[in-house]
Amino acid sequence: MSIAAVPPMPALPPTGRSVRAYFAPVDRVHALPTLFDPSVNGRFTASAPPAPWIGLGWIEDFARRSTSRFGQLVTGSPGTTQFQVRETVDATVSFRFKAWSKLSMALAADSQHMNLIVPAAGSVANGSGGKGVTPVNLAMGSTATFLALAASDAAGFSAGSLVTVDVDYAGQTGFVGSGVSAASVPSATAVNYDPDYIRRVSFNVARVTSVATTGATGLQLAQPLIAGVPGANMRVQPISGFVDREGGSFFQEWSALFLIDGEQGERILFHYPRLQSMAGPSESATALVPPLERIALSAAFRALPVTDTNDGEPVVCFRSFLPSPATLV
Amino acid sequence: MQNAKDTFYVALRSRLATLNPARTMMLRAVTRPGILVVEAEAPMAQPPLDAFTLNWTGFEADLQLPAILARLTCEIQYSTAGTQANAGLDRGRALEEMDYEMLKLLYPYSAQKMNYTQSPAAAMQTLVFWSEPSFGHAVVLRDRLSRTVQVTVFAFQEQGEA
Repeated sequence: MSIAAVPPMPALPPTGRSVRAYFAPVDRVHALPTLFDPSVNGRFTASAPPAPWIGLGWIEDFARRSTSRFGQLVTGSPGTTQFQVRETVDATVSFRFKAWSKLSMALAADSQHMNLIVPAAGSVANGSGGKGVTPVNLAMGSTATFLALAASDAAGFSAGSLVTVDVDYAGQTGFVGSGVSAASVPSATAVNYDPDYIRRVSFNVARVTSVATTGATGLQLAQPLIAGVPGANMRVQPISGFVDREGGSFFQEWSALFLIDGEQGERILFHYPRLQSMAGPSESATALVPPLERIALSAAFRALPVTDTNDGEPVVCFRSFLPSPATLV
Repeated sequence: MQNAKDTFYVALRSRLATLNPARTMMLRAVTRPGILVVEAEAPMAQPPLDAFTLNWTGFEADLQLPAILARLTCEIQYSTAGTQANAGLDRGRALEEMDYEMLKLLYPYSAQKMNYTQSPAAAMQTLVFWSEPSFGHAVVLRDRLSRTVQVTVFAFQEQGEA
């Protein structure tokens, strides 16, 4: 006895509600993007992307644009196109982040994204924050979610505060920042030999949930540090928020993944291994009940190429489609 | 959403008690600030005069945010027949006084979200916030002069919140 197989439905038009965005750091020093392999991870749980991808939630006004140019080889009289050539490969993508965070703000900005270090008493006023309070050293036993500090140092922080955790700037040039290349330093004089400079641009930030001044003393963090377990040479400073600027010479570069989940189980993925911001900081407002508005971060990126190792082709974006299990392909 | 509704009501009630301690009403044998929530009282034929009556009507939710943003419509209705001493001839003035109180009660347009289902009430993580009021026309019904104000109340749904 056999059970007759139910013939699949014909291919159906995908229907999705919105787009989710995920980002992962690019190793700028070695020019290595984070590659997403849809044949391995294509069916990942939307709310729990595989490491090191970071989910930034729903985005809106998602728009992909191919700006590649094509040329024709015309021969004969009258002229007829015999061949086409791809003259340039170029693409842009734009959207709006609904939520503001360190990462979404930095992605939407086109240059260094800075942490507002709590200023030292009497520091000179500056648009991106003045000279910060003295950082404190880490003790042994820190993890990605716990900063071990001496009791006297821990007492200087409060639950709910924000911290930046990174190494001192010691005169190095090139990309700096733990976990993420947060800036590129052309010379020590450009950053005034400021030992706090790396902590000022670092993505290694978190909110403190509790402070322990007895027992295992230190700061419990609400979220894991992006650079993982902090190194012994890292130091901690309190911050009050973030600042970006119109201007600057640095370009953020991130790997990106955009996901549309279809209603029939199909899935569309857009993977840009290298995205650089191509617009200055801007916002747009959506009216709730006037004059109450929801403020979104506008973001626009240019896609940069990687080489597909399957055939050596330079490409800027991969579009994957995982069909619904109910349909023909 | 109930915490947001409770927070909005208690915020307005506390502000009214400070702004105009004389605006009270007798309800269920208790004298209390002149503001009530229809769905939390016994059914009544007509809302009491010279008090603010909150009626929760519309509800929407934005699900495509890191936390659900609830949008609740609150219609606040108030009526007056003026004072007996003036034979009701001051009902226009009485309504104007309530209009002004309404403006003052709603500002500032936010309050710390509280959980009033436990004692003492516990502060939650977010703020409840609301739109500026939209005042309807004054309505005359025999000796009563009434107005309905519409306010949209917003609240982010917190983790574990019912």
